[in-house]
Amino acid sequence: MKRSRLPLLVTIAVLFFFYLPIIILVVNSFNASRFGTGWQGFSMRWYARLLHEPEIWRAARNSLVIALGATALSVVFGTAAAFALHRFAWSRLQRFHYGLVYMPLVVPEILMGISLLMAFAAAGVRLGLGTIFLAHVTFCVSFVAMTVLARLQDFDFAVIEAAQDLGAGWGTTLRKVFLPLIAPGILAGALLAFTLSIDDFVITFFVAGPGSTTLPIRIYSMIKYGSPPLINALSTILLTVTFTAVVISQRISRSKG
Amino acid sequence: MKKRPILALLVLAAAASFVSCGRSTPVLNIYTWAEYFKPDIIRRFERENGCRVVIDTFDSNEAMYAKLKAGASGYDLLTPSSYMVSLMSSQEMLQPLDHGLLPNLTHVDPEYLKIAIDKTMHHSVPYMIVNTGLAYLKSKVADFVPSWSMFDRADLKGRMTLLNDMRETIGAGLKSLGYSLNSTDPRELRQAKEVVLRWRAHIAKFENEQYKNGIASGEFLLVHSYSGDILQVQRENPDVAFAIPREGTAISVDDLVIPKTAGEVRLAHAFINFLHDPRTAAENTVFLSYLCPNKEGYALLSAELRNNPAVFMNPELRARSEIFADLGADNALYVKIWDEIKSAK
Repeated sequence: MKRSRLPLLVTIAVLFFFYLPIIILVVNSFNASRFGTGWQGFSMRWYARLLHEPEIWRAARNSLVIALGATALSVVFGTAAAFALHRFAWSRLQRFHYGLVYMPLVVPEILMGISLLMAFAAAGVRLGLGTIFLAHVTFCVSFVAMTVLARLQDFDFAVIEAAQDLGAGWGTTLRKVFLPLIAPGILAGALLAFTLSIDDFVITFFVAGPGSTTLPIRIYSMIKYGSPPLINALSTILLTVTFTAVVISQRISRSKG
Repeated sequence: MKKRPILALLVLAAAASFVSCGRSTPVLNIYTWAEYFKPDIIRRFERENGCRVVIDTFDSNEAMYAKLKAGASGYDLLTPSSYMVSLMSSQEMLQPLDHGLLPNLTHVDPEYLKIAIDKTMHHSVPYMIVNTGLAYLKSKVADFVPSWSMFDRADLKGRMTLLNDMRETIGAGLKSLGYSLNSTDPRELRQAKEVVLRWRAHIAKFENEQYKNGIASGEFLLVHSYSGDILQVQRENPDVAFAIPREGTAISVDDLVIPKTAGEVRLAHAFINFLHDPRTAAENTVFLSYLCPNKEGYALLSAELRNNPAVFMNPELRARSEIFADLGADNALYVKIWDEIKSAK
């Protein structure tokens, strides 16, 4: 019997739909035309101009610092929360805890942004990178916790008991047994947190203060009043960096396994 | 485990960057649109005043307003549009300006102050002016007349766009009938609605951004547009021309204001004064393709810019044009009509 070609066609169509916009963006970043109206010749002018835009680089640096910091802290908190949720009795308090952790996943971003801003304003906190960092940790913790919790569902705690039986202390058990086993869950959670943090716009917009404009805020403002081709060039650089990072991390995990 | 030292480092790095460095030099925090000051000018101001300028950007007046209203502070200078300035002023969010610190205000073009909302510059100083008008392709649009009635032309059907902006487009309808674009008379507004509905049948769509690409590529032949945008398009497609309709049009002004919560009030005044130095004003005008209303600065501009109708309006037309005012509760009248226009079949 001949195999149906439908799956292949659907796959190609979906891939096309996913990647065509990105290809257009990359191609246009080398277009000399400011308005992307047809090809006006190959040009590196947008990349050259990008070098002379300190504001954009500062925004990129802000985004990176916040994303790395928020990921690090939310991985610690999120893993701890997931462990507590999984390990201890499903009491009423624990159910409440679950609700609290789950909440940021369902609360609309705009609501979270404005309520955080009002809380910061009421507490007299000076807005800046610090407030963005706190806001990002707030929602990243939930994503990490949920991802790690899923990994814990099929975690065999007998392994832990066995380790302790063999004389391993809490620290050793944690480092040599528990963490390595749930590392994929933590890593997935960390990647998710990083991605969410680095492209968050709505919440960040509200809690950002003087001197803490992040890349998404900058880009959004530039789409309307700045130079779109600069954004194309910047996105192309970001894409290259991301792809390189993914390839390297896959290489590393393959060589370990 | 190697992971933990790295994590600790990251947390440290994040923490370190929160501690702001250099407390000795004063910092001026500006909250504005993207690319709204020529970078060289900012550097010059920093040098002359021994300070640091930090620029953050917003993308709409409403978003900026919502943020400040919810309690965000720390900004020393804002550049909202005039209608937002009157709203913020009525909510007592702005400081009165100290004219003693602003000697350069004598250079501000009095012709623009005549039509301005804050005529005495009590709490705001005009920074940049944009006119709304008609851009068209010279080679494709036969016998162009500078009039809003162009949108009735059947031969351009499907090749025109109107702005997707309630006040601009209803305002164009009102102007075409000879009414004020700040009218709150229900009868006049009803007539304007009929006009815009008639135009709607001829246009391709309501569009605020893509018309630039559309007119540059020849997809659209006539677009309702902002002067600054069209000046940029003209550098790429010289066939594009810009005209102000003879019935008059909307003038948008972004003002320089100091919020009540500002910390560096003196420095903010110094910056406003610096922007109205004729040389700075002229440089910014060239950089932005908008017009900084600075009388002495005009003389420093090239003849080409001075004769461009998109930058310098003919005085007669300017007298017929208006700045959008904040309508307060009457805004609802416009919202209702705009909904009817957008949802009409």
